Amino acid sequence: MHIFANPARFLKLARPLTLWLGVGGAVLIALGLGSGLFLSPEDYLQGESVRILYVHVPAAWLAMGGWTGIALASLSQLVWKHPLAGVAGRAIALPGAIFTALCLITGSLWGRPTWGTYWEWDGRMTSMLILLFLYVGYIALAEADRERGGEGRVTAIFGLLGAINIPIIRYSVEWWNSLHQGQSISFSGGGSSIDTSMLWPLLASALGFSLLFGAIVLMRMRAILALQKVEARMRRLAA
Amino acid sequence: MKAKHQRLTLLLLAVVAVLGAVLLAMSSLKDQAAYFYAPADVTRKGAPQARTIRIGGMVEERSVRHAGDGVTMDFLVGDETDAVIRVRFKGIVPDLFKEGSGVVAQGRFQPDGLFVADEILAKHDESYMPPEAAGERHKTGSLK
Amino acid sequence: MNPWPFIIGAYAVTILGVVGLSLWSWITMRRAEADAENLRR
Repeated sequence: MHIFANPARFLKLARPLTLWLGVGGAVLIALGLGSGLFLSPEDYLQGESVRILYVHVPAAWLAMGGWTGIALASLSQLVWKHPLAGVAGRAIALPGAIFTALCLITGSLWGRPTWGTYWEWDGRMTSMLILLFLYVGYIALAEADRERGGEGRVTAIFGLLGAINIPIIRYSVEWWNSLHQGQSISFSGGGSSIDTSMLWPLLASALGFSLLFGAIVLMRMRAILALQKVEARMRRLAA
Repeated sequence: MKAKHQRLTLLLLAVVAVLGAVLLAMSSLKDQAAYFYAPADVTRKGAPQARTIRIGGMVEERSVRHAGDGVTMDFLVGDETDAVIRVRFKGIVPDLFKEGSGVVAQGRFQPDGLFVADEILAKHDESYMPPEAAGERHKTGSLK
Repeated sequence: MNPWPFIIGAYAVTILGVVGLSLWSWITMRRAEADAENLRR
């Protein structure tokens, strides 16, 4: 757990990794979205509108994956007091919030030509909107904590408790009648109800956005660590 | 017990407790948080009569009838059970509104059991495939 | 209904959002690391 306790060792790995994740992500996104827009077939029911799948679903996965990351970072901060955990949580928050917003916007743009509405208060949409509010709350808490120079315990507890929303989002379409359709891809076996010709652009795009997400988180962690170094030096000079 | 383990145990207990409480509350919210009533819900428990509600299910095959005025239509909404709801709607339906496909209608029940809708939304299932792969499959869509 | 305005809108918002976020994170990082580097000297 403490392999990266030393920020210097973390940075040694993070510097090349940022570049590789960024470049790999960009290539896969171009591949996935290009084939999603131009090569993949239209859907038997939805026609061309189905192409929004290739941006909407990766955004949704990363919105939920982002908070899962925040929850894990919070746990390791509270229990093991890992020195980089708080930094990681803060670095994930903004990209997580942006991807949640993208998921909501693209979903809304998908809903109009298919369902016939931009927005409805069904279980899936409402719980996803709550996730956006949770991200905003987390960012505000983390910022307030940073200004006070605290340890970020309250922020971490908030990050851990907010994770309850993740299974609610996941099961919202099974527990309640909803306008949103059920799960297409089951990771615990059962395969996918998406045709192969549509599945591979989706997976390329999802993997690409995930790698880029990783690169963004690393960049933000490096920025926070550099800033901490500067602030520590300033305090020593002032003393 | 090391302080680290103590923190871990306490925290996990707290998380499990809160998680359990919230999930329990959520699943008991089942009826209130449901976005629509399925035909089976209406037959089994009845639906509110005096206010605007949403019902949803599959548009029954060969049930859509267009009235002479060109904008009014009648159709049947069913589900996996035998229950059906008669729906009347006046207006333009989404492109995805089709027989054998999902639908959500907002409106009110009339005393005679007819559901008069003022808004129609199309609901599709979780399968995505090109038209040539679909064949007859799309006619056996499910509610979920 | 013509779906293309919605498709193009969804792709444009996603690409703009992600590119903007990446650039902003990159610039913030470079600036912070440059400041830290300058301090050492």
